[in-house]
Amino acid sequence: MSAEISLYHQFSGFALDAQFRMEKGVTALFGPSGAGKTSVVNAIAGLLKPQKGRIVIGGRTLLDTDARVSVPAHARRIGYVFQDARLFPHMSVENNLRFGLRRAENPAGESEFAHIVELLGLGHLLARKPAKLSGGEKGRVALGRALLAAPRLLLLDEPLAALDAARKSEILPYLERLRDEARVPMLYVSHSLDEVTRLADSVVVMRDGRVAAKGPVFDLISDLEFAAASGVESYGAVLDASVASHRGDGLSVLSFAGGALVVGRVPKEPGARLRVRIRAEDVMLALEEPEAISANNVIPTKIAAIRQEAGHADVQLEAGAAKLVARITQASLVRLGLAPGARVFAIVKSVTVDRNTEDL
Amino acid sequence: MLTEPEIQALLLSLRVSLVAVAAALPFALAASVWLARARFAGKALVEGAFTLPLVLPPVVIGYLLLLAFGTRGPLGAWLLAHLGIRFAFNWKGAALASAIVTFPFQVRAIRLALEAMDRGLSEAAETLGARALDRFVNLTLPLALPGILAGAITAFAASLGEFGAIITFVSNIPGETRTLPLAIYNALETPGGDLEAARLSALSIALALFGVALAAFAQRRAARSIGR
Amino acid sequence: MRGIVLAIVFAILGTSPAPAADKVVVFAAASLTNAMQDIAAAYEKKSNVRIVNSFASSSVLARQIENGAPAEIFASADTQWMDYVAKRGLIDSASLTGPIGNALVLVAPESSPLGPRAIDAHLDWKKLLAGGRLALGDPDHVPAGIYAKEALAHLGAWDALAPHLAPAEDVRAALLYVDRGEAPLGIVYLTDAKQDAKVKIVGVFPQDTHSAIVYPFALVKGAGAAARAYFKFLTGKSALAVFARYGFTAHAH
Repeated sequence: MSAEISLYHQFSGFALDAQFRMEKGVTALFGPSGAGKTSVVNAIAGLLKPQKGRIVIGGRTLLDTDARVSVPAHARRIGYVFQDARLFPHMSVENNLRFGLRRAENPAGESEFAHIVELLGLGHLLARKPAKLSGGEKGRVALGRALLAAPRLLLLDEPLAALDAARKSEILPYLERLRDEARVPMLYVSHSLDEVTRLADSVVVMRDGRVAAKGPVFDLISDLEFAAASGVESYGAVLDASVASHRGDGLSVLSFAGGALVVGRVPKEPGARLRVRIRAEDVMLALEEPEAISANNVIPTKIAAIRQEAGHADVQLEAGAAKLVARITQASLVRLGLAPGARVFAIVKSVTVDRNTEDL
Repeated sequence: MLTEPEIQALLLSLRVSLVAVAAALPFALAASVWLARARFAGKALVEGAFTLPLVLPPVVIGYLLLLAFGTRGPLGAWLLAHLGIRFAFNWKGAALASAIVTFPFQVRAIRLALEAMDRGLSEAAETLGARALDRFVNLTLPLALPGILAGAITAFAASLGEFGAIITFVSNIPGETRTLPLAIYNALETPGGDLEAARLSALSIALALFGVALAAFAQRRAARSIGR
Repeated sequence: MRGIVLAIVFAILGTSPAPAADKVVVFAAASLTNAMQDIAAAYEKKSNVRIVNSFASSSVLARQIENGAPAEIFASADTQWMDYVAKRGLIDSASLTGPIGNALVLVAPESSPLGPRAIDAHLDWKKLLAGGRLALGDPDHVPAGIYAKEALAHLGAWDALAPHLAPAEDVRAALLYVDRGEAPLGIVYLTDAKQDAKVKIVGVFPQDTHSAIVYPFALVKGAGAAARAYFKFLTGKSALAVFARYGFTAHAH
């Protein structure tokens, strides 16, 4: 189910001008504070009426300023998880959860309620009032409440921003689970590259009210232009991998488009899909394949592009269909005489494997 | 313990004040919603008009009530003809006087509660499918409840003490309009009524203390219900 | 009652343009309002003294004097309340005099179908009231109400009428109820009835149904020279003429 978004709105001192499409899965809306991300989300939800715009979700036109069509917020069936949870303080968790459910056109059945409660681990919290919940618990209830309204689209506006690291890691797996269940397309607003690389299937980068870059996460994150566009330090690579086998020495072998990766033992059956992230700083380059070396992962690659900046160089590498990024000093770049098209070996020092949602 | 006239005055005070507050509440709620939401030229004048009963001498209010709500007054005549309601010389008139005099207390408290409500919650409810009336009934009103209660209790307490407007509008009729303050006044003015005045005053104080305790209890319960 | 409000408003709003040298505070029964205002105005014109009149029910005024209110002259509507303050040594007994009297009348709204009639033991009060209430000053403490109660009791009508009264704070309030048509009948002083065009007299209470209505005037103890001068004026010929114009009877005391 796809969505077409096209918005234009002149605020005082800031112009919003964004167009993008969303497909199935999680689309991250990424960019620094003040880029206009929340305005985009509010416009999609119907809380902001843009001066000009068109919003079509699943073939249904929610907004078309030219045709003077504007479906009111309460009728759009778009779930919205706010940064500050916004749970109704006078209602129990259960009544909060059922709020949207009770007002839905085609209300989900009791089994769906039970499923979401179980999915988000809310069973023991149902009778409590929001004041008695921790930040992480509030976030999960907000998530459940939005889901139970059976939305066509789920908007999440930096749902983890107000949480500390421990709470964040508590909720992220639930979000991954939601993504994997693939029920509802999600638009996930964040200024955290870490969350984006972990959750997103595609990314829309916003800067100063405009869309600066967009594309699938696997491509975009390792794209050197993305770094320039999004104004963040180059991240590295996100890879789609699966468990190939488990070795006897406490290590597992993952296979991906560029070959194999050896990582610490992953408690998954062979065949299980995983997302793997490799930071540019953790990749070294060699012109010849090193032998007596401690790193377990040496991957043959071809240089696709190089970007130089203030003392370091980001080198985009192709390993089969997959992309990697290595960050080296400019001096090394010169010393090795690297240029696009050259074949080099990428030595990966550290690999982050995202735990699968079933581990919860 | 209490003489017949004393019980009569006590019960009448309770009835008049309860009816006054309850009857004024929907109007106060409507006025508060209007003032909290609407924007229009002359709004300050309307706000001033709602505060007028606090500023006018009660006797003047009583006189104006007589002019407007007496059986020959424009509003009184209409109400009598269409709804059969008569305010002259009976407890309903006393309740009307009390309601009007204490109206500003309710409006002020409710309006504060409404304006203190987090708009974000209303937005969240909207995205969950709730229309305006739905949000008002299920979100705004319950959250404003402590404020509404505070206003009602303040109005009730003030109403128990109302004198000038009642005695001017509906005179001092035992059993009909002789609330505790009017009974105390009567006792004070009648030679030899000092003891009676003291008894009635003690009764008023006891009533006030009970009311305050009840109010504190109700407010705590309400605050807890909205999770504070 | 209206008198008090008006007096307060006058006191706040204005005084004579020239700075008044002296001020005299007068407490007077509500029924004396209009006459006393005329007399005060006349006096202020010919002297440089400001007269501050405070009108209320005599019971209220007496209590106020008892509690130290700064009155210099007290004009009560009955002897009971003058005795009250006299007993407490609050007045200059030498000055005590009763220059004027009044009559008690039964009034109805101008638009009432009732015509004039004799007030005697045969009067069918129930029929006249027709379910409405009889307005009068509170018979517990307002002089006009006390006289009214006395008269009604004398006529044997008090017990039947007691549950159908509208006891007002003072006689002017009672008059207002009849004026507004709120009460079909009221008992007020002749002088009050004459003041209000919207009210008509339907009967006069015979003198023998109640004690004589006398208005005792006295100087309050500690009254100043200006007050004494005004008191003389107040009980003098020109003032009495004003009172007579309003319907007060002359009363030798």
